[in-house]
Amino acid sequence: MSRRRFPLASPHLALFLLAVLAFPARADEARSLLVQSEERHRTKSQEYEGDLAVTSKDGKERRKSWRSYRLGYAGDSKMLIRFTAPPEVKGVGFLSLPRPGKNPDQWLYLPSMKRERRIAAQDRSASFVGTDFNYEDMEELDHEKYDVKLLAEDTVAGQPCFVIEARPRSDAGKSLYEKKLLFLRKDILYLVRMDLFRSGEKEPGKRLLLEDVALVDGRHVARRMTMQDLGKGSTTVIRLEKLAFDRPQPEGRHTLQNLVREGGD
Amino acid sequence: MAWAGSGVAQTWSGFVETRGFAYADRASVRDPWVVGWATAQGTVEQRVSPSLRLSATLRTEVMSTGDRDLFLDLADRDLRRTAISLREAWVSWSVAPTVDVEAGRLLLGWGKTDGYSPADAFLPRDLTDPFADEKLPLWGLRTRGQAGALRFDGVFVPLGTPWRVPVSSPRFAPVDSTVAGLPVIVVDGENDLPRTGWGALRLLATFSDWDVGAWARTGIRPAPLLTPRPDLAFLDGDAVAVPSDRRYAREDAAGIELSRVSGAWVLRAEGAALFSDDPGLGDALIWTVGVERAFGDGTLLLTLAANARATPVDPLLLFDRAILPAFLAIWQRTERWGSWRAVWTQGLRHGDGLVKGEVSWNATDALAITLGADVPYGSRSGPFGSRPDLRRVRAGVRSSF
Repeated sequence: MSRRRFPLASPHLALFLLAVLAFPARADEARSLLVQSEERHRTKSQEYEGDLAVTSKDGKERRKSWRSYRLGYAGDSKMLIRFTAPPEVKGVGFLSLPRPGKNPDQWLYLPSMKRERRIAAQDRSASFVGTDFNYEDMEELDHEKYDVKLLAEDTVAGQPCFVIEARPRSDAGKSLYEKKLLFLRKDILYLVRMDLFRSGEKEPGKRLLLEDVALVDGRHVARRMTMQDLGKGSTTVIRLEKLAFDRPQPEGRHTLQNLVREGGD
Repeated sequence: MAWAGSGVAQTWSGFVETRGFAYADRASVRDPWVVGWATAQGTVEQRVSPSLRLSATLRTEVMSTGDRDLFLDLADRDLRRTAISLREAWVSWSVAPTVDVEAGRLLLGWGKTDGYSPADAFLPRDLTDPFADEKLPLWGLRTRGQAGALRFDGVFVPLGTPWRVPVSSPRFAPVDSTVAGLPVIVVDGENDLPRTGWGALRLLATFSDWDVGAWARTGIRPAPLLTPRPDLAFLDGDAVAVPSDRRYAREDAAGIELSRVSGAWVLRAEGAALFSDDPGLGDALIWTVGVERAFGDGTLLLTLAANARATPVDPLLLFDRAILPAFLAIWQRTERWGSWRAVWTQGLRHGDGLVKGEVSWNATDALAITLGADVPYGSRSGPFGSRPDLRRVRAGVRSSF
C-alpha cells in the first residue's frame, strides 16, 4: 500500500479540516479569557460622576452630567442614575432593578411632573440621551449572550491585546449589531476597544475606546470612554470621575422612594 | 444614615425666559393681538445633613396684559398670578432610609395615565395660560415611604389652594349671547375662598409586571364652582358685564391605579369614584386607560378618559372634568438639536378638540428657543371649540443656569 491510497483530497480540504478542528479550541480560549476577565474585574458596587460630551461632525458640543450608583454586577445589578446637568434634565432619575430571567424593572422620575413612571425596557437601538451610545452600548457586556472566537492579537495604544470576535446569540435578545470585535489587554485582561458592526457592514460602523485605564480601589477601570460613529463622524466622550468600587451602599438607595427623593442621593 | 461622600451641599439653578403669544383672532377689542411674558425663576437646594434637605423656588413674572392684583401672594389664593410667587419651599427629613416627612410649599404629581389622570386632576391648576397645564403648589405636610414592595404617600393640606382660572375676558370666557344688542362678558364676582383644606392617602405596590395603587381623599375640592349672577349685571363700556361668583364644594373620592409592562408597551389605567352633596357638582365615576410605547428616540402616549356619570351642570363649568370624555395622543421625540412634541386632544362629546405642536431647539446646553402653536377647533359647544379666539402661535427663549 503506497501513501497515495490515503491522500488528502486537496490542500484546501486540509486547511478546512484544520480550521474545523481548531475552531472549538479558539472558541474555548476566547470564552476562557472572557471568564477570567469577568472574574478579575467583577465588582460588588460602583459609583461615579459621569460627564458626557457629544461633538458633532461640525464641531458643535453638547454636555450632560450625571451620578451613577450600581449595586451588583452585569445582569444582577441595581442601578440608579441621577442627571445633574444641563438644567433641562437636572434631577431626572433612572432606576433599574433586576428580575431573574426577565427584563429589569425600569423607572424614570421627572422633576417637572413630580411623578415617577414605569417604563418598558428601553429599545436597545435607541440612542442614550441623544449621544452616539445606544442603550445596548451602555449595558455591561455579558459574554454568555455571544458566540465568541479568538481571532488574533493586535495592539491598542501600545498595549498588546487579544482580539475576540463576539456574535450575539439568537436566543439572547435582539441586538443592534451583527458582530463585535473585543480587544482585551493581555496583561490585565481588560476591554480597551470594541469595534461594532451592524448587519451587512464589512467595516465597523462604530468604535468604542476605553482609555485612561487606572487602578481605583484596587480595580482597573477606564476613566474615559469614547464612542466614535465612524459613519456620521460624531464622537461622544464619557469621563468617569470620583470613581469608587465595592463601597457599602446606603440602605434604601436603589428604591423607588429614593428615586423620587429630590436632592437626596 | 451614612451616605458615601455626604456633606453639606448647596446647588443653585434656574432660568430666565421670555415668551410671546400672537392670536389669530379676537371677538373683542378688549383682548390684545399679542401678549408677552417675561419670567425669572431660581431654585436653591441644600442638603443640610444626610437626612435633611431644604429647597426653595422663587419665580417673578411680568405680563404685558398687566393682569395682576398683588405683588406677592404666599398662599397663591389670589385670583391673578402675582409678580412674585413662591413655587416651592420645603424641608424634607428622612426619618428612616426609605421614609421621608416633608413640610412646606409642595408641588405634587399623582396618577399614572398621561394627559389626564383622575388621581392628579383634582390638584389645583393655574390656568392663566389655559394650555400650559401648570400646577399650583400647596402648603402642606407630606409623609411618604417604602417598605418592601409597598409604598405610601400621605398628604395633609390644612388650607386649600383654589384653581386659578383664566382672566374673565371674551377670549377666555366667551359668552354667546347679547343683551339689547350689546355683547355679554363675564367678569370676576365674589370668591368664597375655601376655609379648610383636604387630606389624601395613596398606597402603591409593584408585583412582577404589575404596578397597582389605591388612593382616597376627603376635603374641599380645589376647582371652583361658578355661579353667574345676571341679577348683578352692569353696563361696562360697550358690553354688559355679568359677574361670576366662585365657591368651593366638599368632595370625597377614592380611586385605583394600574400599570403593566407588556413587552415594549406600558399599559395604564385608572378609575375614581367622586362623591359630593353639592347640587352643582354631584357624583362622578371617572376612568382612564392609556398606553405608552417608545419608538427609538420617540415616545407615543395614548389615553382615553371619560366620566360615566352625567354632570348636573354643563361640564365646561367644572374645570377638572371639562374635557371629558376625550381621547388624547401625545408624541414626543428627542433629537440631537433639541426636541419636538405634538399633542392632540379630541373631545368625544361635542367633536371639538385641540392640537398643540412645539419645537425646541437647543442653541447651546443652556439656551433653548421654542416655537409652538395651539389650535382649538370644532363645535362651539365644547371646551375647546368654544374658544376659537385662543388659536395662537407662540415663541420663547429660555436661558437656564
